Amino acid sequence: MRNKIISWSILAVIAMSVVPLFVSDTFVLRILTEAIMWIGLAIAFDVLAGYTGYLNFGHGAFFGIGAYSTAILMVQANWPFVMALFAGAVITALCALAAGFPTLRLRGAYFAIATWALSLAIQQLALILTITGGPDGMRLPALLNPLYFFYFMLGAVTTTFFLFWFLLEHAPFGLKLKAIREDELGAQSLGLNPTRLKIQAFVLSAVPTGILGGIYAYWITFIDPASTLSDLVSDQALVMVVFGGMGTLIGPVIGAVLIFAFKTVFWAYLSDFQLLYLIILGAVIALCVVFLPNGLWGTIITRNGGNGGMKKSRMIGPKRNQKNADKTQKLAGALKDCVQKEGGE
Amino acid sequence: MELLPQALIDGMMLGGIYITIAIGFSLVYGVMHIIDFAVGEWIMLGAFMGFYLNQWSGLDPFLLLPVVFLCFALVGYLLQPVIHRVVSGRQGNPLLMGLVFTFGLALMFRGIALTSFGFFSHSIPSAFSSKSFFYEHGEFFVTVSGIRLAGLVYALLIAGALHWLLKKTNFGLGVRALAQNRDAAALMGVDGKRISSYVYGIYVGISAMTGVLIGSILSVSAQMGPNYTIVAFFVVVLAGMGYLAGVPWAAFLLGLVQSFFLIYLDPGLTMLAVFVILFTILLVSPRGLFAKGV
Repeated sequence: MRNKIISWSILAVIAMSVVPLFVSDTFVLRILTEAIMWIGLAIAFDVLAGYTGYLNFGHGAFFGIGAYSTAILMVQANWPFVMALFAGAVITALCALAAGFPTLRLRGAYFAIATWALSLAIQQLALILTITGGPDGMRLPALLNPLYFFYFMLGAVTTTFFLFWFLLEHAPFGLKLKAIREDELGAQSLGLNPTRLKIQAFVLSAVPTGILGGIYAYWITFIDPASTLSDLVSDQALVMVVFGGMGTLIGPVIGAVLIFAFKTVFWAYLSDFQLLYLIILGAVIALCVVFLPNGLWGTIITRNGGNGGMKKSRMIGPKRNQKNADKTQKLAGALKDCVQKEGGE
Repeated sequence: MELLPQALIDGMMLGGIYITIAIGFSLVYGVMHIIDFAVGEWIMLGAFMGFYLNQWSGLDPFLLLPVVFLCFALVGYLLQPVIHRVVSGRQGNPLLMGLVFTFGLALMFRGIALTSFGFFSHSIPSAFSSKSFFYEHGEFFVTVSGIRLAGLVYALLIAGALHWLLKKTNFGLGVRALAQNRDAAALMGVDGKRISSYVYGIYVGISAMTGVLIGSILSVSAQMGPNYTIVAFFVVVLAGMGYLAGVPWAAFLLGLVQSFFLIYLDPGLTMLAVFVILFTILLVSPRGLFAKGV
């Protein structure tokens, strides 16, 4: 299953990278670039929401921090794009560290609330500061080369995806995060340090988001608080992740593609009913949680006997499903091994 | 300096409204372990119901409160089983699922309200609006508007009623038992499902009533929801999650912070100040001002 997914992903990336050879329409290219960006945002959101079990309503804020720091460095300090983007990523990481330190010591609820307050505070800050241009936003030097941004975005998201794949599905890091999601006290008793792991996951989720924000800013050449810092970024990422399947890497990709396709069609043909979009987003989230809690991809893999996504396997109590129970035992054993190997954190 | 008493009084009045926003929210977290992201939307829907009822019947909003309470309590009572199903499923981390679900509800409610009620903001006329008291002593002077005073009285009445319900009745005993330990309470014969439904109904009803009050003191608009959700969150984190007795003090503190920013500093900075306070509290005393949260 795993090797299959890896080979399919590599195939998909190759297919995406040859698309511009056949399609010269800039509109299509633009849609594809944005779709790729949303895939990146959704998988970054899922590191914290799906794997660690912490909802980050400040996802949009980190997108905006990346966008604004890149823009400010390029406009005010005349830095070249790549350097500004790198600096933006560092700034995003520092912000995530600062915001994560007090809030991630606590349980999920506090974190969701604090990150939401953070995103509101950053919105207000961007509106009143002069360096960000306030409500008028900022203009960046224009580079009218859609191909450049298509490949840049594709490269960034591909790197993120395979890095996440290695860290979360291959290395023990993903297993540790899942242990925290399932039972934080239990994870602690196995010798893990949940706070440190959660902060690592938070930074891991924030940095790609900031980088995508920076690329977005240079690509669109105009940013303002309404477009980059609004709650819509977090809301859409949440819908994509929940719809596709939390706690998997493929789920958010599927969710992002489907929701983005729906959004594009919706705005193209039904733009008179903009408010309907909000209702549909909300309804999709609520219905998904009730009827499809594993999301599309999660439902598919659990139906095939897999033990992925948000599905919780029973470790104690009646063993309704011997196969799953064995698997869980094995996972717990592997987790213990990897903790012992590191000599405890 | 002569504005100081006014700032204090305004802060207290504002804090009074915040008590009723946060108290049901804290109760629901304590009993059902649900963070309800839709708290602001319940307030907004209640405010609109009050507005239309007032236009239709011409009655004073304070007389309409029981009607709004009953309607919304019924809605909450009927909705609770769905939430119960979400948070007690076999998915990892039920808290997360509850949060995601209520967040979806909030988005949906906001979209529906914006579609059907429009973007305009209204206000609900009340007989108290025209009254106000003026007090002068030396260089200090204070104006107290009648409606805000009525709001404060209402908030204290609600808090008192809730206190009575939780501490003096059998129902309250069940609620407190449920908050302490769900399984043990069930073994003692407490019907968790039914009591949770009642608690959720009470919470939704109180939130909707508060909405009517906010509609007559401030204004009603379809976008008002998130502003009050953040207030509820702030007060509850400050008080300590699920610690009801801390709610009034935290609410008064937030009211004072807001009125001081309004009078002395830039009102545009309020959200920033709120975040800084939240951040500091979480850093210094993660379980709220009184260190009694969950």
